[in-house]
Amino acid sequence: MTASIDVSTPDRPVIVITRDFDAPRDLVWKVITDPKHVAVWYGGPGFTNPVCEMDLRPGGTWHHVMQAPDGTRYTINSVFEEIVEPERLIWRTIKDPDRNPPPPTSLNTVTLEIRGQQTRWKLVSLFDSMIDRDLTAKMGFGQMIGLGTDRIAAHLTSLQGVKSRG
Amino acid sequence: MPQDRLSSVFFALADPTRRGILARLSEGDAAVNELAEPYDMSVAAVSKHLKVLATAGLVSQSRQSQWRPRHLEAGPLQEVVDWLEDYRRFWERSLDGLSEHLQTLQQPPDRKKRSRSRRASTKKEGIKP
Repeated sequence: MTASIDVSTPDRPVIVITRDFDAPRDLVWKVITDPKHVAVWYGGPGFTNPVCEMDLRPGGTWHHVMQAPDGTRYTINSVFEEIVEPERLIWRTIKDPDRNPPPPTSLNTVTLEIRGQQTRWKLVSLFDSMIDRDLTAKMGFGQMIGLGTDRIAAHLTSLQGVKSRG
Repeated sequence: MPQDRLSSVFFALADPTRRGILARLSEGDAAVNELAEPYDMSVAAVSKHLKVLATAGLVSQSRQSQWRPRHLEAGPLQEVVDWLEDYRRFWERSLDGLSEHLQTLQQPPDRKKRSRSRRASTKKEGIKP
């Protein structure tokens, strides 16, 4: 399974990415919560992580520096909000004042679910500008991905069509 | 209002009425009273929504015409799409790394030894300790 963005959530527009791993859940939990392991995979092939410090407890910080293949370094600071071993990890990214414009901050929930011999990793990212607002409708982000601007406009039309008919 | 542009676009898109206005404008420029027609709300209320859309850079206004039609600016929408695509790519890449790391960890002990041989280590080149 590849990562996918799914906005078919009933009440809030969030970005959902899932992936099934051929590994037991305890092991997946270990490699996503132990900084020694996180530093190995975070960012993916070609990326390195010179700094990965995780204080794994509610309110604890996750200080991270990721280095891209071109040498660019990205600082990502987060605070852990919930740790339920071995099934749920919640952290919130902190606004980086050094980046202009700063990337939107998000509340991220990873859940690990046993699926036979596999473990399903699921990330739900909720962005602050979404959290702050009382949202009731879908934004159609999933469908917007990869579409050209014209098609986005068309998609907005179709969303509206559904609404007015309903 | 959110301060940065991306957040303000997210905010603007988060409301169904505002998406409806954008949808209408995607068919062609329109004045406020035309935009208000499908909704059970005052022109003033629609104007407020238009202000949010304008702040996000999604809607512009012609100054030439007396009835001042509003125009859809698609650029910021593309920014949102691009940003989301970056976000997706980042995780897709990271999960590839995670998957590879899990495979390495689960190699049986005898294969781990062999992984020091050239053949296996070439395969794991992407992993940095």
